[in-house]
Amino acid sequence: MLAFIVRRLAVLPVVLLALTLVIVGLLQFLTPAERAAAYVTSEQQLRNLDKIIRDKGLDQPFLVQYWSWLKEAVQGNLGFSKASNKPVTETIAERFPATLELTLYALVPILGFGVWLGTLAGLNKNKWIDQFARVFAVITYNIPTFVLGILLLVIFYGALGIAPGPGLISSETQVELLVNPVPRLTGLLSIDALLAGNWTVFWDVLHHLLLPVITLATISTATLIKVTRGAMLEVLSQDYVRTARAKGLPERVVNLKHARRNGLIPVVTLGGYTVIGLLQGAIITESIFGLPGIGSWGVDAAGKFDVPGLLGFALLAGVIVVVASLLVDVLYALIDPRVRFD
Amino acid sequence: MKKPLLAAAMTLGLGLALAATPPNTLVIMKDADIPTLDPGQAYDTASYEFIENIYETLVTYKGKSASDLAPLLATSWTISGDGRTYTFTLRQNVKFHSGNPFTCADAEYTLRRNLVTNNPDSGNWYLAEAILGTSSNAADDKSITFAKIANGVKCNAQGQLVLTLPKRDPALLYKLAAANMSIIDKKWAIGLGEWDGTEATWKEWIGKDLTDSELSKKPSGTGAYQLVRREANSAVLKAFDGYWGGKPKIENVVWQLVKEQATRIEALKKGDADIASIGPRSSLSQVQGTPGLKVYDGITNNAATAIFMNENIKDPAILGSGKLDGNGIPANFFADVNARKGFAYSFDYDRYIKEVQLGKGVKRTMLLPESFFGYDPNVKTYSYDPKLATAYFKKAFGGQLWQNGFVLNASYRANSVAAQTAMEILKTNIEKLNPKFKINLTAKPWSEFLKSSQQGKEAMIIIGWVPDYADPDNFLYTFYSSNGYYFPRSNFKDSLMDSLLEQARQTTDPAKRKALYSQVGNRAYELAPYINIPAGLGFVVYSDKIKGLEENANTMFSGITLSLWKNLSKGSGL
Repeated sequence: MLAFIVRRLAVLPVVLLALTLVIVGLLQFLTPAERAAAYVTSEQQLRNLDKIIRDKGLDQPFLVQYWSWLKEAVQGNLGFSKASNKPVTETIAERFPATLELTLYALVPILGFGVWLGTLAGLNKNKWIDQFARVFAVITYNIPTFVLGILLLVIFYGALGIAPGPGLISSETQVELLVNPVPRLTGLLSIDALLAGNWTVFWDVLHHLLLPVITLATISTATLIKVTRGAMLEVLSQDYVRTARAKGLPERVVNLKHARRNGLIPVVTLGGYTVIGLLQGAIITESIFGLPGIGSWGVDAAGKFDVPGLLGFALLAGVIVVVASLLVDVLYALIDPRVRFD
Repeated sequence: MKKPLLAAAMTLGLGLALAATPPNTLVIMKDADIPTLDPGQAYDTASYEFIENIYETLVTYKGKSASDLAPLLATSWTISGDGRTYTFTLRQNVKFHSGNPFTCADAEYTLRRNLVTNNPDSGNWYLAEAILGTSSNAADDKSITFAKIANGVKCNAQGQLVLTLPKRDPALLYKLAAANMSIIDKKWAIGLGEWDGTEATWKEWIGKDLTDSELSKKPSGTGAYQLVRREANSAVLKAFDGYWGGKPKIENVVWQLVKEQATRIEALKKGDADIASIGPRSSLSQVQGTPGLKVYDGITNNAATAIFMNENIKDPAILGSGKLDGNGIPANFFADVNARKGFAYSFDYDRYIKEVQLGKGVKRTMLLPESFFGYDPNVKTYSYDPKLATAYFKKAFGGQLWQNGFVLNASYRANSVAAQTAMEILKTNIEKLNPKFKINLTAKPWSEFLKSSQQGKEAMIIIGWVPDYADPDNFLYTFYSSNGYYFPRSNFKDSLMDSLLEQARQTTDPAKRKALYSQVGNRAYELAPYINIPAGLGFVVYSDKIKGLEENANTMFSGITLSLWKNLSKGSGL
């Protein structure tokens, strides 16, 4: 298994190299002046446009520009992001925990509710719960994240007033933190608050994450319902399930131990890719709810042609994709003895 | 198992009552990040909003006026007879947030640091222009030595700050009132590893980008608020106990970055934000009439926008045939004053105010905000008049323009609805006058658009100017002088205009300057080098618990509150 993991990880630099090369290559379709947009924020600064282009090497040939970035990147310097006005590595270190926090909480309803409803639907084919699950999945899968996020916000925050406003904590908690600061050990504010025993901050963060988590989790939950249902239906028609029933095992044991366990194999594959999907969803969700993650930074970097920011974001996304795929493969082999690491 | 889950969900989703903003806290929700908190680098309104509350300048704006100045860290100043030496007496018993006392050494260090680190992204060029006679830094202009900087900015034996200029600069005080000229804490900055202020190390700091400097992360000013915490999407400041002007009424300021406008609007309505950035004007209807919210409307626009008519177009590609034959235009198409006047009479100013500014706009007599010193409301203006436009077009180029027609390629900044609408109004009206008149409009990405126009390659563009400092020279010289920043885009050159603007630069007598700027306005009306676009009025939506906002509003401050936070208080609503 170790050799398999090492082999897969060895691919990582190649993937990242190709990814960044494509991004820098695509950016060459823009003129040097367009690529300098990140550095020109007012008419007044334009007086220095030529100098900015020269200083930043934006008029250099494609490979020269890429090489100068790569040389620094391999030494751990990913450049300076104009979108965050900080070094890229510092930006990632500061913002990634917030995205991770949102994503981890989103996995709870995705895996819990999605698998539960998908299994129930599969076990009760064409009954009302199955019909409900299918309709629910079709509707939620087709609502764009930005529409759902704003809709939830307008209804539950604006109209009903039962959900909190934007940000990770309320202004009251911001002030509370002046008096009782929470040491940032993990970077995940809810966990840090829990470790510090500060329940006010902990509940406030959870409260604030409720709508973003629902927004982020909805599409993935719908996918998981559909896949789990399909997998269950397939597994239930297998011979070994029939054999288990013939042996006189209780229906509950047949369903949960024999059928669901095997039905979850494709779900594991999907689970890994769900993490990648969540990263995409976080870009929109964080912007709507004013959360300080890498998603909202990515949007900004793209809007401002912030090349180091975009490359840093792509590198991080690349690492996440490769690591998530690796985890899927490892888990797959662990839960399905038919799959071998070689 | 299911019951505790349900209970938790109830607690999270329904059980907690929503809190409005805390009574002693001002909650600001914005759509733009803070690029830097280092005054030496800041050159944007988002950074200025914080800097003007954390730091203080030597002079500031008096009350609501954009043209009158008042003492701040300098209590008084004298100007020598030749207008080249400014001596500032500094305020005593002032402390920085670090606890360090404010002295002349801090002011001297600040301005010298600004001159040394002057770089393309900062606004220090105008300080350099005043004190060193060039907008460049020492890397680009080898005549700049440390001695030149040190002689230009120094403390005298009485602890006064003395600025010595190579030539008169009537705008100097206005320049010193800008937030990027805020005085920093020398001892604190050096302790953080910033420039040590000596000749031995100054070369290492020439043109250095200070955006992410240690000082930006840990600012220490003399202002009424000190930074406590800054994270990716939020910042918290608290009132400075040792503030020389007395502790402000609002104890804390919480700033939140919320990109999505729908979210900011909901937060305002729910009372989770005391003030939030909202725009354009069409979105105002979403909050108008909401209980607990006030709208402060009709705020003077500090920008000036114009349609440029380039008198020497340097790109043959956009000239079409390059001749006045109905298939293009000659490079000097706009050099004929009759052609320019024809265009000026073809723009429907009232329609623009009605459609784009929803009735909240003002026609200006000159390309200068009406709140600025030097603005003359009596200068004549152009109105939409197809008959007069036709008459001038018939006179242009000895009648050839009217007879043969033209194809003009004009451009505007992509995604700017206001710019696009202005150009479309002009196009429609021009094409209605004569079937042989044709205007093609192209949307261009901003930086590309700015660059090509700076090279004189655009025939007609629409662009604005936002002030660096509140002196009329910053607008009028920029637009109308043949040495001005916008000259390459307009190629408008008039010796009388140049002479008037240079004279205004050479006198510090306000009455003389005012008279000269009136003449500039009248000359601009005669020659019509630009089409003056009406200025849209601004608005702010805020909680009625906030007091003192409208009473202290001054558009020269960059913050959304239009005033320093120390001037505000928070009550219980109307």
